[in-house]
Amino acid sequence: MQYTFDWAPIWANRELILDGLLNTIALSALGLALALIIGVVIGTVGASSARVLRISAATYVEGMRNIPLLVHMYFWYAGLAFLRLPPFACAVFGLALYSGAYVAEIVRSGIGAVPRGQWLAALASGLTPLQAFRYIIYPQALRIVLPSLAGIFSQLIKDSSLASVITVAELTYQATAIEGQTFRTFEVYIAISLLYLALVSVITYGLLLVPGARDAEAQGLSDA
Amino acid sequence: MPEVILKNLPFLLAGLRLSAELALLSIVGGTALGLVLGVLRYLRVPVLTQIVQAYIVFVRGTPLLVVLFICYFGLPALLAYKTSAYWAAVLGFVLFIAAYLAEDIRTGLRTVRPGVIQAALAMGMTKYQVLRFVTVPIALRNVIPALFNQYVRLFKFTSVASVIGVNEFTGSAMLVNGRVFAPITIIGFVALTYLVACLAISSVGRLLYARLAVKT
Repeated sequence: MQYTFDWAPIWANRELILDGLLNTIALSALGLALALIIGVVIGTVGASSARVLRISAATYVEGMRNIPLLVHMYFWYAGLAFLRLPPFACAVFGLALYSGAYVAEIVRSGIGAVPRGQWLAALASGLTPLQAFRYIIYPQALRIVLPSLAGIFSQLIKDSSLASVITVAELTYQATAIEGQTFRTFEVYIAISLLYLALVSVITYGLLLVPGARDAEAQGLSDA
Repeated sequence: MPEVILKNLPFLLAGLRLSAELALLSIVGGTALGLVLGVLRYLRVPVLTQIVQAYIVFVRGTPLLVVLFICYFGLPALLAYKTSAYWAAVLGFVLFIAAYLAEDIRTGLRTVRPGVIQAALAMGMTKYQVLRFVTVPIALRNVIPALFNQYVRLFKFTSVASVIGVNEFTGSAMLVNGRVFAPITIIGFVALTYLVACLAISSVGRLLYARLAVKT
C-alpha cells in the first residue's frame, strides 16, 4: 500500500464541510417535517375502514416508494424545470414525497396496532373522532412506531445526499468539491461518512428518548 | 407511447438491461456476503463478530452515494488498482446491501426455534451440519419478505450508479432528455418502468414466500 494518509486538507476545508453539514441538516429537517405531514395524513386515510380511502392511500404509497428517489428529484428539477424551483426546494419535495410514503405505511401499521376498543371507548366517552385521534390513537401509535420511524428518518438523512446530484450544496456535494481540489479522496469520503453516521445516530437514539418509546421496543413491536 | 420514447426505445432498453444486470449481480453478491456476515454475527465468534458489527454500523450509517464514491475514487487510490465505473458500482452495491441483508438474515437465524436445533443435534448432526442443513435454510426461507424488500430497494438504488457515470436506465434516460428535451415524458416513462419492475420484484418475493416459508 503506497497511499499516504493526509488529513490536513480536510481540516483546512472544515468551513466548507460545516457549511455542507448545515445544509444537509436543513434539507433533512424540512424533508422530514413534510414527510411526517404527508405520512400522517396518508397513513390515517389508509387505516380507515372505507375501502375507497384505503385503496387510494395504498396507491399513493406503492406509486411513490417504488420510484427511485433520484427520479423523484429529477422530476422536480428537470421535469418541472419551467417552474424554476430552486434546487433546494426540488430536493425537499423529492425527499418528502418519497419518504412520506414510507412514513404513511408505518403510521398505518401503528394505528392498526392500537386496540380497536380504545377507539370505541374514546367515541363512547364523548370525544369527537378528531379528538379521539389527537388524544387517544396518535399518542399510543407514535410510541409503537418510534423505532421504525427512527429507521426511516435515518434513511432520509442518508438519502438527502442525492440532492448533490441536482446541485444542492450539501455535505456530499462539498465533499466532491474538496476532493476535486485536494485529491484526498479517501480521507474526504471517510470524514463525511463519519459525519452522516453521527447524524443518523443522534436521530436514532434521540427518538428513543421519547417517554414510552423503549416500552414499544421491549415488547418487540418494532421492526426497525 | 409518445414518439420521443419510441424513437429512443432501443437505447433506453439497453439502459434498463444494464440496470437489471447491475441489480442481479449485486443481489447475488450481496446475499452471499450478507449471509456470511449474518452467520458470523449469529455465531458470536469473538473479535470477528465485533469487526462485522463495526462494518455493519458504518455502512448502515453512510449514504449509498458516498459508498459508491469510496468504491470508485477512494479504494482504487488507497490500494492502487484501476477499476471501471461499472465494477465499482457493483462492488459498492454489494458492500452496501450486504450490511442490511446481514441484519435481516441474523434476525431470521435467531428466530429459528431452539427445539428444532436441539432435535437436529439429538439426531447426531454436528454443529456445522445443523447450521448448514437446518438453521440457515429455515432462516433464509422465513426472511424472504425482508430480503425482497432490500432487493427492491437495491433495484431503485441502481439509479444512483448514473452519478459515477454508469449509463444505466436513469442515466441513459437523462442523456436522451439532454438531446431531445422532453423531460416530463421521459421522466414519467422512467418512473412508470421502475414502478412496474419494483412491483414485479415484490410479487416474486411474495410468491416465493408463499411456497417456501417454513411453518414451525
